[in-house]
Amino acid sequence: MSRSNEEKKHPPAGTSAVSILHLILLLLPGEPPPAVMARCVSCHGPAKQRGGLRLDSDSRALAGGDSGAALVPGKPADSAILRRVASAGNDRMPPSGSPLNPVEIKELTGWVSGLKPGAATGDSRPHWAFSTPVRAKPPGTTNPAQSANPVDAFIRGRLAAAGLEPSPPADKATLLRRLHLDLTGLPPSPAETEAFIRDPDPKAWEKRVDRLLASPRHAERWARHWLDTVRFAESHGFEMNQARPNAWPYRDWVIRSLLEDKPYDRFVMEQIAGDRLGAPEATGFLVGGPWDQVKSPDPALTAQQRADELADMAGTLGSAFLGLTLGCARCHGHKFDPITQADYHAITAALAGTRHGETALPASAAESPRLEAIRKERLAIEASVAPLESRLRPPVTHALNTEPLGPVMARFARMSITASSGAQPCIDEFEVIDQAGNNAARGARVSVSGTLPGIAIHQAVHLTDGRYGNDHSWIGNERDSGWLMVDLGKVVQVHEARWSRDRGGEERVFTDRVPTAYSIETSADGSDWKRVAGSANRLPKGRKVLSPKPGPPLSEAETARLVEAAAKLAELDAMEKKLTGGAKAYAGTFAEPGPLRRFHRGDPTQPREEVPPGTIRGLGQGGPFPPGLPEPERRLALARWIASPSNPLTARVIVNRLWQHHFGEGIVATPSDFGRNGAAPSHPELLDWLACELVANNWSPRSIHRLIVTSATYRQAGAMRPEAMTKDAGNRMLWRFAPRRLEAEAIRDGILAACGNLDLAMYGPGFDLFEPNSNYVKVYTPRKTFGPPQWRRMVYQAKPRMQLDDIFGAFDCPDAGQIAPRRSRSITPLQALALLNSPFMEQQAGIMADRLHREAADDGARVDLLFRLVNGRLPDAEEKSGALALVADAGLPALCRAVLNSSEWLFIR
Amino acid sequence: MSARGRFLLDRRAFLGEPAGGLAAIALASLARADAVVPYRPLIRPGEPASARPALFTPKANRALVIFCSGALSHLDSFDYKPELIRLDGQPMPGASGLVTFQGEQGALTRSPWDFRPRGQSGKMVSDLLPNLASMADEFCFLHGMTAKSNTHGPAENQMSTGFTLDGFPGMGCWVSYALGSPSRDLPAFVAIPDPRGGPQVGSNHWNSAFLPAMFQGVAFNAAKPLPHLAAPAGLNPMADRKSREYLRLLERKALARNPGDSELEARVASYEMAGRMQVAAAEAADLSRESAGTLRMYGADQADPVRAGFARNCILARRLLERGTRFVQLFNGAYAMGEGVGNWDGHKTLVKQYSVHAPILDQPAAALLADLKRTGLLDDTVVALVTEFGRMPTFQKEASGRDHNPAGFTVLLAGAGIRRGHSHGATDPFGHKAVEGVTTIYDLHATLLHLLGIDHERLSVYHNGIERRLTDVHGHVITGALA
Repeated sequence: MSRSNEEKKHPPAGTSAVSILHLILLLLPGEPPPAVMARCVSCHGPAKQRGGLRLDSDSRALAGGDSGAALVPGKPADSAILRRVASAGNDRMPPSGSPLNPVEIKELTGWVSGLKPGAATGDSRPHWAFSTPVRAKPPGTTNPAQSANPVDAFIRGRLAAAGLEPSPPADKATLLRRLHLDLTGLPPSPAETEAFIRDPDPKAWEKRVDRLLASPRHAERWARHWLDTVRFAESHGFEMNQARPNAWPYRDWVIRSLLEDKPYDRFVMEQIAGDRLGAPEATGFLVGGPWDQVKSPDPALTAQQRADELADMAGTLGSAFLGLTLGCARCHGHKFDPITQADYHAITAALAGTRHGETALPASAAESPRLEAIRKERLAIEASVAPLESRLRPPVTHALNTEPLGPVMARFARMSITASSGAQPCIDEFEVIDQAGNNAARGARVSVSGTLPGIAIHQAVHLTDGRYGNDHSWIGNERDSGWLMVDLGKVVQVHEARWSRDRGGEERVFTDRVPTAYSIETSADGSDWKRVAGSANRLPKGRKVLSPKPGPPLSEAETARLVEAAAKLAELDAMEKKLTGGAKAYAGTFAEPGPLRRFHRGDPTQPREEVPPGTIRGLGQGGPFPPGLPEPERRLALARWIASPSNPLTARVIVNRLWQHHFGEGIVATPSDFGRNGAAPSHPELLDWLACELVANNWSPRSIHRLIVTSATYRQAGAMRPEAMTKDAGNRMLWRFAPRRLEAEAIRDGILAACGNLDLAMYGPGFDLFEPNSNYVKVYTPRKTFGPPQWRRMVYQAKPRMQLDDIFGAFDCPDAGQIAPRRSRSITPLQALALLNSPFMEQQAGIMADRLHREAADDGARVDLLFRLVNGRLPDAEEKSGALALVADAGLPALCRAVLNSSEWLFIR
Repeated sequence: MSARGRFLLDRRAFLGEPAGGLAAIALASLARADAVVPYRPLIRPGEPASARPALFTPKANRALVIFCSGALSHLDSFDYKPELIRLDGQPMPGASGLVTFQGEQGALTRSPWDFRPRGQSGKMVSDLLPNLASMADEFCFLHGMTAKSNTHGPAENQMSTGFTLDGFPGMGCWVSYALGSPSRDLPAFVAIPDPRGGPQVGSNHWNSAFLPAMFQGVAFNAAKPLPHLAAPAGLNPMADRKSREYLRLLERKALARNPGDSELEARVASYEMAGRMQVAAAEAADLSRESAGTLRMYGADQADPVRAGFARNCILARRLLERGTRFVQLFNGAYAMGEGVGNWDGHKTLVKQYSVHAPILDQPAAALLADLKRTGLLDDTVVALVTEFGRMPTFQKEASGRDHNPAGFTVLLAGAGIRRGHSHGATDPFGHKAVEGVTTIYDLHATLLHLLGIDHERLSVYHNGIERRLTDVHGHVITGALA
């Protein structure tokens, strides 16, 4: 059964009279005056939050509403609330009923005058996680024989206070198996176990710890924990869920970072701004979430999709690094934590230049600086032409191109083409839109410069036949040039021309032969022509502008500058391609974003005031960035704020994650929510001590791992003790090492390792557990047969989003639709069926039997070897005689199947 | 009186409560915005799937949701609009230049299928689905339904999980979490994919997401049995049995070494249930004992493999419901083949596409309902026929089909606790937007949970900083649809 819900605190169902009184007393000091409570709270209180504003406590009132601050503490004259209640206009508050009387206004004024700026939300005491960690002195221990590890001092201090004793150390074989499974996700070999048991060195444990922590196996195992935390997957999600074949470099970057014990502050910064720090693939973090591939001309849908992308980036950043549920502040001020809607938007503004995409990877570390120099030069060129480009229209497309025309009175319209993307130009439809929005050119007479001879589907008549697609198009007879002219039959007011090379509608869409240089002219009489549109004010192919700003047409000098810049950019692209060999990573792609506006109630169709980029006010040294900070600098500033020792959350959150994966439960049981609604720490002083220790050790995660696993607390036996259970059934005080079921990956990897099949090849594209297909909506059909290509560690599985592996998915594998900082550990009949009957297990049991045959001379020795390989011990008499009887009756594979299904094998204990 | 005392009294007056206990409790609940007390089902480690009592006496003990993937057009099936017939071929008033999901809209277009009165209620239903139409008296038609997204993926997510984003538990998972299963031998939640393949967002419909994996739906259909149900081919039945007996010995010894370890007990229980499930699920999926008459009634004798396949899935649904499965989600339509080919996404050639899809759904689904009624199961089973959103009253510009329309669509309810032969809510005269009795997917979920004896505001689970619910922070039981 899962434990995901047990430790959470909830409002108790039956609250006692004493606690109610207590709550009332707690409420009073931070309460607004009766006038507010009586006149405002019905619309700005717990039931309703008009305008996103709550006025039922000082701190909520201070947090403000959707349109910003409702009041300025200590300054009633500057406070919107007092202006609004006194207003004679239609913005008066309350909007209905009598205005506030002078006594009420006086009360309100007195209240605002007396308020002090402070924590914005919740009760008035500061929340523990928002103040800087303090390095407490480990409690003194009375028994000098006890371990000198400070971790133990904190744990034992709390146990002693509760009248509990720690458990004795576990036996050596159990310990070594625990250490191997925990640090590397693989069981120790029989030889390793025996060597450890026989090792007389008093530092034998520490030696193993250091060796395993430096092992690539450790980096692979713990990379998976991080990948869960950041919802990493190798497909886009949503309905098409197509693969992201170049997403794996981010996974490799995580593994490499752990392997070199990269300082955690650097680890954080590279994920936010790795493009500026020599690790572009690390920004795969930002865009690791789902991405909706289904686009639509509906602007509301497009805006919603982009808002969802940014919400995913900001939300994951907040939860992974800060343990904050930032996403809660997307539509309204956070209900529990000091995060306003403006804070949320400040962080999204800092990330707003980020888009999903692919970025070039350096072929080797040596080339990284050169690649970096190319990137810098490109950014500089792009920045210098951005003001010009923002005045241009989007590049031509094979699909719909729209050309605003004025409006102008015309009977004739013609398009003259002087360049195309290759061969003779092709157009499938040419439309002229009149005042009523209708296509006046539908069915119109059309003449052309010439037509590619002999192809029925490419005739001039198709230009105005109302049918889209290559099968109903016109192709000219000259390379790179041609013209077409439509006669509307009478003079009408025309507003827009529309044309396309292939607007879709057929199975295959063609993107060649697109006119790239052209002009469009109109005429009322067929002799006097006026140029009304053309390609001159369109961007070159491949460029895009995020915030178009209409301006005067470009001058000749400006156009020349653009042409020069385009040539230089093409040159840089070629140089980059040479350096990278074309290798790509799914990662952030960045461009200067336009201004970001706050969305009222999170609704992108209701943009409000502009929000400058920044961090969370009142947290660490957070606040808006200096004005005018360009795109990459914004992300760097955000990264620096998070990866700073003065940020109260960053170090605490990561040491808690490390603790959680060692013990199965964090000091804070809600690892990605350190806010007021999260769980309280079981050992707050220890958490702070570890956080300070991490920073003091140059942010080395390995130093914290080492402290934890060399503690006596970690080395305790796992046995249940009834007297301790009565005091602390959930083991929050750590009076034992609580056994827990292994995760899916460790089960699969462990089976492959024990059977002798595990392929330890590291890095690179992953293996696929699904049959290949290329449908519009990708279909994931589980593989039925497995071979060596699928026998790598599971962290190298090309992991699709929302599609779990047929066999091991049943073991609570996260689907990467949402972050999964803490997996549930359920036990289900489907797991039993998968382990008993799946083709993978049948195959591995057979291979294990072959191995036993090869390596042991008789059935007795084979049974012994099986137990040593799987459980790290020899069978007892009953287990052995039963096993021999089973082998005699049903063969060795039947025995291997049973042992590989046993709970002893599937648990860390 | 002191300022504090006066203040307390004022607050009591403000709350409109008599001074005393109730007011005090209300005050205490003000201390937290989420004052609703979350409901935590009591789950025994040894029997995590066993039946649990509802929060209050339920009308329905089980649920069947038929999901029509691709957005079944309400305007061509259940939502009769005389104005649409009258103004056929004219532009939709007030909608010039309207751009919807795939682009521009053409003229209003009446349904190619005629509507006629059905049953005692005289409900106007089209000829598209004649067998379902003939059962109009069984249904409550929710005509005022609205969805949040006009894209299939997010909208399918919302209809099954309450959220447009990926990564939230399916409705059946919530029900199985709350209520467990009356059957000791079958999964509490079975998803039956269409013979043509899975729905657009695949297993999102039945994934447990952040709920424990034991509450995840188990996907199988009449053609593709539950995975890993049979022992490996290379293991004869005797070897299979002996191997499992030996496993029991190992587990018994592990329990003796680790007394009181509830996770070990749960594992032993899970293997026992797996053993029972192997027998029971195979039996439930074995249609060979169904009479020729039954097969014919459902259309399982059809030569077309898709029509016969969906009919067999409908029979499987009935067999599972009979045998105690708590929640069955039956899918009609698949997306792998693309727009409108194997599903209800009729953008371009509505008549051609729906003429293929309608007979696949109609006879088997109607037979399933009739069968549930005949056996009395419908008395305590709630049935919903849903789709992700509606379609436009206009045809798309330059096409002969309808674009997406989340502003109005129809859901059918039937069975336990449902007001029969009734219509609730309405769209505007063209069927474009819901205007009367407007209901959301949250409301639909709240209503289904209510019928199953669950308060949708209380059934929640803590995940990353928030008590997550099927209905997010929304939802009202649609009382007008209840008997």
